[in-house]
Amino acid sequence: MSALDIERIDGVPIAHVSEDLDAANAATVQRQLTDTLGPDASTLIVDLSDTRYLDSAGIDMVLRLSDRLDHRRAKLILVIPDTSQLKRLAEIVGLSDAIPIHPTLPAALHEAANPQTQTATPPGTRTAGSSNA
Amino acid sequence: MDAQQLESEARNGPDIAPTRSPEPSTRGSSVSESRRSQLLSIADSALGYMSLEDMLSELLERIRSSLEVDTAAVLLLDEDRGVLVARAARGLEEEVRQGVQVPLSRGFAGRVAAEARPIIIEDLDHAEVVNPILRQKGIRSMLGVPVHVEGRVIGVMHIGTLVLRHFDEDDVTLLQLAADRAALAIDNARVSEQRAVTEIMQRTLLPDTLPQIPGMRFSAKYLPAGSGIKVGGDWYDVFQLANGRVAFVIGDVVGRGVLAASVMAEIRTALRAYMAQGHKLAEVVSMLNDLLVSMGRSRGATLSILELDPEAEELEAVTAGHLPPLLIEPDGETRLLEQTHGLPVGVRTGHSYQACRYPFPTGSRLLLYTDGLIERREESIDEGFRRLTTAAHAAAQRTDSSFADRVYRSLLDETPLEDDVALLAVETAPLEDTLDITLPARPNVLGGLRNTLGRWLRAVGAQENELFDIALSASEAATNAIEHAYGARQASFTVRCEYDGQQVIVTVRDTGRWRTTRPQGGGRGLQIMRSLADSVEVNSDEDGTIVTIAKRLSHQA
Repeated sequence: MSALDIERIDGVPIAHVSEDLDAANAATVQRQLTDTLGPDASTLIVDLSDTRYLDSAGIDMVLRLSDRLDHRRAKLILVIPDTSQLKRLAEIVGLSDAIPIHPTLPAALHEAANPQTQTATPPGTRTAGSSNA
Repeated sequence: MDAQQLESEARNGPDIAPTRSPEPSTRGSSVSESRRSQLLSIADSALGYMSLEDMLSELLERIRSSLEVDTAAVLLLDEDRGVLVARAARGLEEEVRQGVQVPLSRGFAGRVAAEARPIIIEDLDHAEVVNPILRQKGIRSMLGVPVHVEGRVIGVMHIGTLVLRHFDEDDVTLLQLAADRAALAIDNARVSEQRAVTEIMQRTLLPDTLPQIPGMRFSAKYLPAGSGIKVGGDWYDVFQLANGRVAFVIGDVVGRGVLAASVMAEIRTALRAYMAQGHKLAEVVSMLNDLLVSMGRSRGATLSILELDPEAEELEAVTAGHLPPLLIEPDGETRLLEQTHGLPVGVRTGHSYQACRYPFPTGSRLLLYTDGLIERREESIDEGFRRLTTAAHAAAQRTDSSFADRVYRSLLDETPLEDDVALLAVETAPLEDTLDITLPARPNVLGGLRNTLGRWLRAVGAQENELFDIALSASEAATNAIEHAYGARQASFTVRCEYDGQQVIVTVRDTGRWRTTRPQGGGRGLQIMRSLADSVEVNSDEDGTIVTIAKRLSHQA
């Protein structure tokens, strides 16, 4: 499954995911996302705006990816619109406590460009200290 | 397809070259008696019961003794490579053993084939010869005639002598007679060989079972025209993607026979691979087109590929030079999904294709077909479309056999087939009130399951968030069922959905046991189910595990 559409804005890699993330494709997508980061980027934005379902395998994958990026001193940021069902899911399972989630791509890019100014990020954003280790 | 057909520009009848005209027979009046026996030996019907190899060998031996020559050989044309290949020989057995190949138009045999007429070489010492064996053998004089079938050269038969010999008109006539006898046998053997291979390929390439998707019905027909090598360019395919959408393909590779079937196999595989990678439909066809051009496939193909999202009830279509699919709306209105921009694939690199979208509400039908279904000699294509539309209307009123079968029978029943016919019909119907699904225990069924549940939940009136909660919970239970089956080959699981007017109950059953300790992710699946549903029950015993998920709907029936 190559459900990814990759772009770079100001050097920040952004992976737009257009398909569901589930047990069928989680491992493949994780590998593709890791490849997307490249050796020198310090942030990876994963845009889930067009993703309809994210199951437990998908959530585990996102958390594993975040851990791996932490080890490389890089950061994972998710884009999930406020209207998405995934927003509710992310809160229920605690994903939003572990990984910064922004409702729009500009908000995510803003955090990528200003990693120190988390408090200035737009509403709908939650960040957890652990992701900035 | 006749792209590589040899143009036979020569006049019919013996035309002897290069150095002299045919001379009348010089063997006097007694010749007629021996000619009779020669003719009989060549026309002997017993030859027809032998294998091609034995028959050619025997025929060449008879020619050798009748015409009192030292060598006799048959070379057959490989049209795709443009060479003549030695197939049988007497007195020149090395020619076959070494697999001698002579390019068309070159050398002795090459000229006989290219010019499609008998040629005599009086003295080999003064002639261009490609095949070194002829010189090594010490052959001095040669006579070659074309082997043809239906005006098309398929090979060359030649004889040679170790001493100088003047071949006369009678020799030419007799050798041509033998060549014609051989032509018949060669053609028959080739046709049955080709047919056998092509039929095997067709059987392997056309889906042997069509997918089972709740609320959808597929039916198909494939009928090869008449006989022989005319089999083979049409195909259809149906497959469900991991995201739950369903792809339909119909196509027609230019040409017939094994080569057309092998191009069709390449196209089928490329389409499945690009679709599985999640590319958009128009992109898939553009990529296929570039692939075929880059592989130097001289055979183009026309095709239609469509992708249906059963839950969204939306159809996307790309047509590459193919006849437009016919959409039959639930109220019986018909519509040809015509697209003007799509060139056939494999013709011009870089062509970009466009997708069109169409609503496909429950009760809609779709017909994909190849030209053999509607095209008739001496009839305009519009007349063909008109008959198709009428047949589709009539078929939609009846239920006595599959939709594809009904359409096919009302169009072609009493007409002999002039061309292959492939026909694929897609129908959607409302889902049952109680939905029962059996799925193979493989992760790639999850997307299809969520799509079907989405369709069913929408039909019972679930809100967007309720639909999400129930479909994802059921999908989590299914993921667990699939994990239990790990290693079991034919394992499957079932999902039942019921709505009692207040709450939806989804039951997922498998034949394995839930692992108490789970490798990673802990019980996140269960946590998700418990958070999204009103109640989740897990019952495990030695027969398997049953998960029951319940959730009330805010809008109640």
